[in-house]
Amino acid sequence: MSKGIVVFAQNNDTDNYVDQACLLAMTLKLHNDTPISIVTNDTIPDEYKCLFDKIIPIPFGDAAKNTEWKIENRWKLYYCSPYKETIIMDTDMMVLQNIDIWWKFLSKYEMFFTNKVLNYRGDVADTKYYRKTFIDNDLPNLFSGLHYFRKCEFAQEFYHWLEYVMNNWETFYEQQLIAASRPKHMSIDVCAAIVARILDCEDTITNNITKFPSFTHMKPYCQGWNKVQTNWQDQIGVYISKDGSLKIGNYLQTGVLHYTEKDFLEKTSVIEIYRNLINV
Amino acid sequence: MTKGVFLIAKNNGYVDYVKQAVFLARRIKKYLDMPVSIATDSVEYLENIFGVDDFDKIIKLDYVDSSNMKYFFDGTLSKKAASFKNANRADVYKLSPYDETIIMDTDYIISNDLLKSVFDSTSDFLIYKKSTDIAKVRDEIEFEKISDTSIDFYWATVIFFRKTKTNKIFFNLVNHIEEEWSHYRRVYQITSSLFRNDFAFSIAIHIMNGFQTGSFAQQLPGNMMYTTDKDILWQLTDDEMMFLVEKKDYLGEYTALKTTGQNIHVMNKFSLGRIIDKEFANE
Repeated sequence: MSKGIVVFAQNNDTDNYVDQACLLAMTLKLHNDTPISIVTNDTIPDEYKCLFDKIIPIPFGDAAKNTEWKIENRWKLYYCSPYKETIIMDTDMMVLQNIDIWWKFLSKYEMFFTNKVLNYRGDVADTKYYRKTFIDNDLPNLFSGLHYFRKCEFAQEFYHWLEYVMNNWETFYEQQLIAASRPKHMSIDVCAAIVARILDCEDTITNNITKFPSFTHMKPYCQGWNKVQTNWQDQIGVYISKDGSLKIGNYLQTGVLHYTEKDFLEKTSVIEIYRNLINV
Repeated sequence: MTKGVFLIAKNNGYVDYVKQAVFLARRIKKYLDMPVSIATDSVEYLENIFGVDDFDKIIKLDYVDSSNMKYFFDGTLSKKAASFKNANRADVYKLSPYDETIIMDTDYIISNDLLKSVFDSTSDFLIYKKSTDIAKVRDEIEFEKISDTSIDFYWATVIFFRKTKTNKIFFNLVNHIEEEWSHYRRVYQITSSLFRNDFAFSIAIHIMNGFQTGSFAQQLPGNMMYTTDKDILWQLTDDEMMFLVEKKDYLGEYTALKTTGQNIHVMNKFSLGRIIDKEFANE
């Protein structure tokens, strides 16, 4: 069975998601043999093309031409993944360890979403600050930033529904969510949770016991701080060694890091260090 | 394998730690039935005033003055600034005459035999992380992390260790952290410049765990119960203690609270001193 990571990158006027995807691919390569493919219509710098197994254009036209967040195409990932088993990752992530054991665990599932994320201390993060919609509407607490699917009937059905919900998100939000905590924009996590509710499949696509596979979510209010600033990088330091090991605050990071802040690449020397490490 | 309890007592101008150590040694004998050794810079004072019978071994420390100053409260309304002679705690690894040692602060009042079980532990290093303020009205957050964005807090008040290669490295590391305190306190986002063993031990444990949450240090049995120096130890009879604990939002007012059979870290050294004087007068 072919296995690989797929990442979706669509730049907007201010953010270069392709650069983030390149960093993700570099970190993955340092610790893993797993291939990674990128779905994008944007230009990948020549020197970074070798990082990717396949460079796949966004299929079925670009549904996010006129939008800022560029998430409208995300349901297409199922159809364009070249692998039988796929882990989808957000571009603003780094893989900081070998994750072979995750594949073994995930092979027991047709689809898997993490329903708990970690903070930089490695503790399960309290995400309720950001998850009012999920709490108020009793939605499955899914994080689509890192999820898995095997090409199968069930996953195809799930993604088919995801397409339908995303293309009609305002109607579904009105039907499924109470007005007080109804988001004013489309969220892939909320759409996926609505699909899970419609298909009544939460128990088969999540696991309440295991802490992994998951990721470290760097949104500031997840970190267990009493005093929280707008940006986590203003609150704690980032220290990267020449061997690529990364400390945030006083904690060595392992697993998958979701750094979330767009200026992380500019503020740190992380790209340069990883370029040197894998010779690109 | 030799086993025992080790105490360090260095008096300052206000607090008689030697007296506390003698008092604690007698309670250790009563509740734990273990030999107790002491390291002190006041050997003569100990010999002349209290005698040497309470101790298995007495180790003389050089007298060193300390610039580490802090306020010692006696309830909510009274305080005195005095030197906090807490340096070189990590030397206990070299100083302890035992293969397996419990080191205790002298203001930790033993009232049960719970700590006897540590010598059967498969772990070579035990310390308290979980703690309970008996007053239950104060914010305990300062004893959860050493600073808001930093690492878990461990109490250096009571520690069990075996003399192993790993523990030798650990105690050397604590010494190094103490020597380079101004660096480490900044790295670990500690705002106060006051050196605290709790912080140094917490940092060393974090490093031994590879800068992650890990299993180097295991928890001593039970929770570490404490009262701060804003409370007053009012009475002590055998294993019963009566405290006046500060009332929230009512400065200078207290609530009476009694404990039975609990080991308690009593931070009000003045009220502890008064109780010990009473106890010694009755002997």
